[in-house]
Amino acid sequence: MPLMSRTAFFAGVAAGALAFALPLSAPASAQDAKSVTIAMRVSVNTLDPHMTASVGSDLSVLSHIYPSLLLRAPDLKLQPALAKKWTMVDDVTWRFELAEGATFANGEKIDAAAVKWNLDRVRDKAVGARIAAWFELVSDVRVVDPLTVEVKTSSPYPAFADQLSMFFLLPPEWAKTHNPASETMSGGPYTVAENVPGDHITLKANPDYWGEKPAFDTVNFRTIPEIGSRVAALMAGEVDLVTGVPTTEIERINASGNAHADAVDSTRSMLVKINHQKNPMENLKFRQALNYAIDKEGIVQSIFDGKATVSNCQILSPDYFGYNPDLKPYPYDPDKAAQLLEESGVDLSTPLEVEVPVSTYLQGDEVTQIIASQLQEIGLTVKISEIDFGAFMNKQIKARDLAQMAVQGLAWPTIDADGMLTMFAPGNVYDYWNNADFGKLLDEGRATTDPEKRKTIYAEATKLMCDQAASVFLYQQPATFGVSNKVTWQPRGDDWVRAFDMSVKE
Amino acid sequence: MIRYLLTKILEALIAVWGVLTIVFFVTRIIGDPAALLLPLGASAEQIDALNAQLGLDRPLIEQYITYIGQVFQGDFGQSFQFGRPAMQVVLERMPATLELSTAAIILGTLIGAVAGSIAALKKGTMAELIVMIFALLGQATPVFWLGIMLILFFAVDLGWVPTGGYGTISHLILPAVTLAVFVCSSIARLLRSNLLDVLKEDYVRTARAKGLMPRTIFIWHVGRNALIPVVTMIGIITGELLGGSVVTETVFAWPGVGRLIIQAIEAKDFPVIQAGVALIAFIFVLINLAIDLLYGLLDPRIRERR
Repeated sequence: MPLMSRTAFFAGVAAGALAFALPLSAPASAQDAKSVTIAMRVSVNTLDPHMTASVGSDLSVLSHIYPSLLLRAPDLKLQPALAKKWTMVDDVTWRFELAEGATFANGEKIDAAAVKWNLDRVRDKAVGARIAAWFELVSDVRVVDPLTVEVKTSSPYPAFADQLSMFFLLPPEWAKTHNPASETMSGGPYTVAENVPGDHITLKANPDYWGEKPAFDTVNFRTIPEIGSRVAALMAGEVDLVTGVPTTEIERINASGNAHADAVDSTRSMLVKINHQKNPMENLKFRQALNYAIDKEGIVQSIFDGKATVSNCQILSPDYFGYNPDLKPYPYDPDKAAQLLEESGVDLSTPLEVEVPVSTYLQGDEVTQIIASQLQEIGLTVKISEIDFGAFMNKQIKARDLAQMAVQGLAWPTIDADGMLTMFAPGNVYDYWNNADFGKLLDEGRATTDPEKRKTIYAEATKLMCDQAASVFLYQQPATFGVSNKVTWQPRGDDWVRAFDMSVKE
Repeated sequence: MIRYLLTKILEALIAVWGVLTIVFFVTRIIGDPAALLLPLGASAEQIDALNAQLGLDRPLIEQYITYIGQVFQGDFGQSFQFGRPAMQVVLERMPATLELSTAAIILGTLIGAVAGSIAALKKGTMAELIVMIFALLGQATPVFWLGIMLILFFAVDLGWVPTGGYGTISHLILPAVTLAVFVCSSIARLLRSNLLDVLKEDYVRTARAKGLMPRTIFIWHVGRNALIPVVTMIGIITGELLGGSVVTETVFAWPGVGRLIIQAIEAKDFPVIQAGVALIAFIFVLINLAIDLLYGLLDPRIRERR
């Protein structure tokens, strides 16, 4: 009977292995209808909403935990949150009327005094809040009554309400004795249940929430840095929402039948930034030649499968306040480019450098390759320098030594021309153009809050930028995403990823 | 022996101090963190103000002296990104790294030792050829590719294990196997060539002539001598793995120190880079010390020389 006992032994081993394997075969995050898992590219670094400006990670998670006066809806419009109503009393005074009965989980009131304390905290030099720059123009915060707060600014600040959609409130009393970088006290729809740094953060619905009950009981934010792994997690049914999917993966995800992927235009404009201080970039005809030489439509079709939109000769997309609908992109015309090059009188053997921060923008490295080869086609000598994003920023802002050209993506969180265009105003740390007329227009734009006047001024400013070929305007970077079949999510062009924008699919 | 240990510990301290110094100055060369920590549109004054707040505006030598002074008190400073003590941020990630490296080393060593022994003892047979081909493939396969393939097959298609993340044994399987493939290939190849060398030695022939059991010869005469270079290699690999296996951690979303340090380098979070590298250097030194002591166990001649 030795054979029998051997068979019995193996059967036993197999059964044991199976018993061990069974719990493993269930998807890792056993998902019921009331929970949702969102994949993030980077982990949450700090839980202090005043110490981070990272919308796609820290602030998205914190928007579930802390209240804000306003929120930006998926259609990119502002919607009321703690503030039921907001008005401009005059050019430099904003008034906010707050919801009644709002409290933090420890019972602290979320009232005008709490709003004032938070605005004072970010402006306090001793605190060193990382987002202090957003509130530089705020000069005074006044509690009118417990549910009304007035904010004075030192000069008109039309985008102030937009900026407040990224500003979250801490409980003042609690913050005195706790470290908000690592601890939380909820005043929003969710509360932190578990935080494993670098891996995941789990939120549970806040039973004491003063607003509407959220759709999901549990929200998981999982950090998955590698895009291939993010897509795999979506296809395996472990996560319900991923962003930053390469456009080439969209078809594969849709074909799998497990999830749905697509892209919308983001608020991020891709451009070849030009350093006008370096030879031969001061030459207008040369810059125009660059704009004619690059086939924007071709890039959009070949690299992004048509899922991106060519910029209309400006860095603003139609979502921005101040977008100029009259501008049209420079057409792809290599002959015209060659002619302009000749007229420019520039020595074609002048070596040109294009910098690109590596793996920073969606398929940005490939786009740079195409740009360089198209510039070579019209006879230019082009070299690509791929550098690390930190080194790139350092070179740009601190060393002030950008190459003649740099492939870069720009977005401004308030989705307003003021801010986005200011990065090209003389004196700004980002500016390499130094055009006094442009600077003057932006100053005028900032001196008024009248929307019609502002639109006229920004139309002039964007036209100047286009005529002067201040940059090579490329395309709107697509905001790509993949959503599981279990939930719905309205795609958006900015970086917010929030469970309260999702619902269970019926 | 005590004297030997003390010398080794002193050497170790000097090595760690050297690493700390190099890391300090290299991080200062790679650039300025303030531009990355502040939101888009922060003015030059705000950038300068943050640098002053972080103490980065002071002369380099003054910063260095303060830093070394703090390190002696066990203080590695506050992380720029996390707003918490840098060493705490690093230590939080250590369990994940320990778990993964231990699993990979044990798995890799066991498989590597068996495979290497088979290849040596069955020299010239099909078994040797198969083992050697797999070992070569294992060493040559990029970890990144192997990781993604394992995920696609075992996690997406079969659904046996999660695609990534941390927490349970099932999360550990794929990253540990991925790393173990490399570990066992290296060990199998090294062990095989060492065994073949030792098998040719006179003392092995003598042992055979004495009529000792083949098992006894293999364990006591061949194995012990062939293991010395292998132990060194296991030590080096362990040190490397404990420093975090960046690629594996990234592919499998494993929250280890390797990924943390890369993130800190990208964000120029100096205190975290320094704390992380200091800890890794310390671990490396400890492992080296352990290997030195192990040599003594394997080879009495080394023990007597001390």
